[in-house]
Amino acid sequence: MFLPALILLAATSSQTPDAAALIASLKRPVPATTAYTEVRFLHQLTRPLVLHGELDYGGANKLGKRVDAPYRESTQVEGDGVTVTRDGRAPRHFDLERAPELKVLMGGFSALLGGDANALTSLYTIALVDNAPNWTLTLVPRDAGLSKHLREFVIDGTAADPRCFSLQQANGDSSVMLLGALAATTLPQPPTSAALAAICRATQ
Amino acid sequence: MSPRRRFAAIALWWLVLALAAFGVQRTLVVGNDLRGFLPPPRNADQKVLMDEIGDGPASRLLLMAISGAPAERLADLSRGLVQALRGDARFTQVFDGGESVAQLDPALLPYRYLLSPTLDRAQFDAAFLHDQLEQRIEDLGSPAGAALGEILSRDPTLETLALAQRWTPRHAPVLRDGVWFSARGEALLIAATRASGLDAAAQSNASAAVRAAFTALPDAASAKIEISGPGYIGAQVAANTRAEAERLSAIGTAGFALLLLIAYRSWSVLALVALPLASGALAGLAAIIAIFGGAHGITLAFGFTLLGVAQEYPVRVFSHRAAAETAAETVRAVWPLLRLAIVSACIAYLAFLVSGVPGLQQLAVFTIVALLVAGFATRWLLPALLPEKFRDVESSPLMQRAHRWLAAMPRPRALPWVALALGLLALWFAPAPLWQNDLAALAPAPAKELARESELRAALGAPDVRYLLVLHANSADGVLRLAEAISPQVDKWISTHAVDDVELPSRWLPSLETQRGRQARLPDRAALTTALDAALADVPFKPGYFAPFLDDVAAARGLPPLDAQTFERSPFGARLAAMLIERDGAWYGLATLDGVHDPAALAGIAAQTQGAVKLLDLKSESEALVAQYRMRILQALGVAFVLLVLAVGLAFRDWHRAWHVLAPMTLATLLAIAVLRACGVPLSLFHLVAVTLAAGLGLHYALFFERPVADAAEARRTLHATLVCVAAAVLVFGLLATSAVPVLRAIGATVALGVSFHFILSTQMAMRADDAR
Repeated sequence: MFLPALILLAATSSQTPDAAALIASLKRPVPATTAYTEVRFLHQLTRPLVLHGELDYGGANKLGKRVDAPYRESTQVEGDGVTVTRDGRAPRHFDLERAPELKVLMGGFSALLGGDANALTSLYTIALVDNAPNWTLTLVPRDAGLSKHLREFVIDGTAADPRCFSLQQANGDSSVMLLGALAATTLPQPPTSAALAAICRATQ
Repeated sequence: MSPRRRFAAIALWWLVLALAAFGVQRTLVVGNDLRGFLPPPRNADQKVLMDEIGDGPASRLLLMAISGAPAERLADLSRGLVQALRGDARFTQVFDGGESVAQLDPALLPYRYLLSPTLDRAQFDAAFLHDQLEQRIEDLGSPAGAALGEILSRDPTLETLALAQRWTPRHAPVLRDGVWFSARGEALLIAATRASGLDAAAQSNASAAVRAAFTALPDAASAKIEISGPGYIGAQVAANTRAEAERLSAIGTAGFALLLLIAYRSWSVLALVALPLASGALAGLAAIIAIFGGAHGITLAFGFTLLGVAQEYPVRVFSHRAAAETAAETVRAVWPLLRLAIVSACIAYLAFLVSGVPGLQQLAVFTIVALLVAGFATRWLLPALLPEKFRDVESSPLMQRAHRWLAAMPRPRALPWVALALGLLALWFAPAPLWQNDLAALAPAPAKELARESELRAALGAPDVRYLLVLHANSADGVLRLAEAISPQVDKWISTHAVDDVELPSRWLPSLETQRGRQARLPDRAALTTALDAALADVPFKPGYFAPFLDDVAAARGLPPLDAQTFERSPFGARLAAMLIERDGAWYGLATLDGVHDPAALAGIAAQTQGAVKLLDLKSESEALVAQYRMRILQALGVAFVLLVLAVGLAFRDWHRAWHVLAPMTLATLLAIAVLRACGVPLSLFHLVAVTLAAGLGLHYALFFERPVADAAEARRTLHATLVCVAAAVLVFGLLATSAVPVLRAIGATVALGVSFHFILSTQMAMRADDAR
C-alpha cells in the first residue's frame, strides 16, 4: 500500500522541479516539426482567424511557419532576416526587427526547444504553475521595448511536451497556437479564449 | 645711426609687420576652391557644371559608423546624433534609417494616392479592393503582420508602404532597432554638409562638429565613431600636406639661418634678411584684399612660392658691401640691376593680369605688389638699418679660390648647343603622359582611408562621387516630367547592370501631370463605398473600420497636386531640394547614381533626349578644367616671357648682352623640364609655378654674373651673393623634394633642379671670363 504512494511521491518530486529544470526537459533534437492550429483574436475583425499549418524549428535562429489553410503562406526566419512567400507572389524579405511578434516566437522557440532556461530568463520574468502532469509557464517581457508589443507569452504543456503557445499583445489582440496532437482538435464555433484555454489545460 | 636706435628701428619694423599681419589675417578670406581659378562660367549650363564639380551632392556627404557597444546602445547613440545634427545649420540632411513615411505631415498623408504609382496600374474597384483586403487578412494572420499597425484603417491598399519602398535606396543597409546597421554590426549614418566638399576648412569644421555632438551624447565614451567621406578625406589630406610643408619649411628656415650666419658672421643679418620679403608678402595680401576682397588658397600657395625671388634682394646688398663702403653706397651700386630684375619680373607678370582668369589676376596683383614693396624696402629701408661695421666677403680665401676655379673653368662654345639638343631629345622621347590633370593624384589620400570610404559608401548605398545625371528643363515640373520620361530607360540600365541604382527626382515627387492622372482615377465617395462594401462581403473586417480610408480618398480627390516647393517643406523634402536647382531661370535636376558599371551606355542618354539629359563625369570634367586652366597659364607664361625679353633688351639697349642673360635662363628652364620628363614625371600646374620661380632666380644669377665690374673683388662679391642664393634655394627646396607628398616633391625637386641648372649655365654663358683676372 505504500508502494503506489511512494511511486506517486517520487513522480511528484521529479515532476515539480523549478522552471529551469522544466525548460531543460523540453529540449528537442533539431530539426523538430510540429503541426499547429492557430486562432488569432484581432480587434479589426468580426471573428477570430483560424489557421492550420506546420512549425519547423531548424536550430537556433532558424524557424519556419507554414500556413496550409485557409490560404497558403510560408514564413522563414533565418538569423535576422525574414522571408514571406505567398502563392503567386514574389517573396518579401524584411528584417526580423520589423516583426516583433515573430521575434518573440523565434526567441521563445529557440530557448524552449534548445532547453536554454538562461536565455529565457534574461528576456522574461518566468512564473511556473504546476498541476502535474500539466504545467503553465507564463513569460512576461523584461525589456520595455518588447513589452510595448507583448504583454505575456504563455506556454501550456504536459510532462515534457508543450501543448499551446499563447501570445497576449499589448493592444488587446491575442493568439493561441495548439501544437502537435492538439492541432487536430475540433474547435468550438466560434472559438473563444476561454474555450481554448480549457483545451490547452485539459488533463489528458 | 647708433646701434641702439638701429635695434629699435628693426624692432619697430617687425612690430609694424606683425600688426599688419594681424590685420590681414583678420580680413583675409581664403577660398580653397579650384573653381575660383577658372574663367567665370558664361551660361547656366557651365554654372551648373562648375557648381557640381567637387560640390555635387555626393561629395558633400559625411559617412559615419558607430561601433564598440551593444546594438541597442548603438541605435540610441545613432538616434541621439541625428537629433543633435538636425539642429545644426552646418548640415542640410542627416539620416540614420529611422525616418519613415509615418513622419509625413498628417495633412500630406492623403497625397499618397497621388505620389504612389498604384493607380497607374489599378482602379479602386470591388475586385481590386477585395484582393487587397484578402491580402490584409493574410497579413493579419502572419506573425509578421504586426508592422501594419493602425495605418490599416486609413490605408488598406498600403500606399504608405509602397512609398516607403520607393523612397528607400535600392541598397539601403538593414534596419536594427530602427536604424541602419552594417553587416559588421556598426550603426551607420549619413549627413550632407551645407559647405562644398572642396572647402577643407568647412569640412574639418563639420567633422569636428560631429565628434563634439557625439561626445556630448550620454554614455558616448563606451562607443566610438568613425567618419569618412570625400570632403572629410580631402580636409585630412590638406591638413597633412600643410603639416608636412610646415615641418620641412621649419627645417629649411633653420638651415637658411645657419647658412647666413656662416656666410656673413653677423646676427643682425638674421634680423634683417626676412624684412623685405615679409613686407612684400603683407603688402601683396593687402592688395588682394583691397581689390578682390579675398584670395584663393592656391593663389596664395603659388604667390608665396613665386615670391621666393625677393629673398635674394637683401642677400645681394649684404654680399656686395665692400669694406670701405656705407650701406647706402652699396645699395646705390647694385640697385640699377636689382631694379631691372624687379621691373622686368613685374612687367612679365602683367601677362597674368590680362589673362581674364580671376585666380591668375590675383596671382599677378599679389606678386607684382609684393616684389615692388620688397624691392622698395631693400632699397630705401634696409640700408639705414645695416650695421656700420661689416665684413667684406670678398676677402675670404675660400671665395678667392672658388672664383679662380670658376673663372678658369673651360667654356666650350658648343656646350649650350649640345645641352639644348640633349634636352629636346629627352623631351621628345620622354614617356607619356605629358600632363598630370588629376590634382587629387598630387596629394593622394591614404589607401586605407579610401578603402574604408568605399566600404561605407557601399554599405550605405550612398551615391557615386564621380558620375551625375543632369536633367535640364525650363521649370521644376518640367524636370520631373523629364525624369518620368527617362524612367523606363533607367529601369533598363538597372536590369542590364549598367548601373546599380539611379535616384531620379521623380522618385520623390511625380510631375503635376502624373499626379492629376492618378487623381482622376480615384473614385468618388459613393462609388468607393459601394466597391468597398462589395469587397467586404466575405472578408471579416468590422463594419465602418475603413471610414478613415474613405475620408482620405475623398480628400485626395480634392487636393491641388503637390508641387516641389510644398514637398520640399516636408521631412523628405530635403532630398528633393538637393536634386532640383534653378540657375538663371533654367531648372536642373540632379540624379545621383550608385554603382556605375557602364558609363558609356549611360552617356548615350544625351543623344536620345537631344541633350536634355546628360551624364556628367565630374572627374573628367574637372580634369578638363585643369587642362583649360593650364592652357591659360601657359599662354600667360608665353606672353610673360616675351615681355621679359623686351624689358631686358630695352633696358640694356644691347641685344648681345641681353642674349647672355636670357639664353642661360631659357636653356636652364628647358633642361629642368627635360630632366623631369625624362624621369617619367607628368607635369602639373605646380611644376609650372616651380619652373617660373626658378627662372626668376636664374634671371638674377645671369644678370649679376653678366654685370661689368670694376675689379675682381667685386666679381668675388657677386659670386658670394649668388652662391648664398643658390645654396639657400637648393637647401629649402631640396628638403621639400624629400617629402612623400607628391605636390611638395614636385615643387621642391623642380626648383632645386632648376636653380642648379640656372647656376651652372649662368657661370657658363653669362659670367664674364675677363673677371678672372
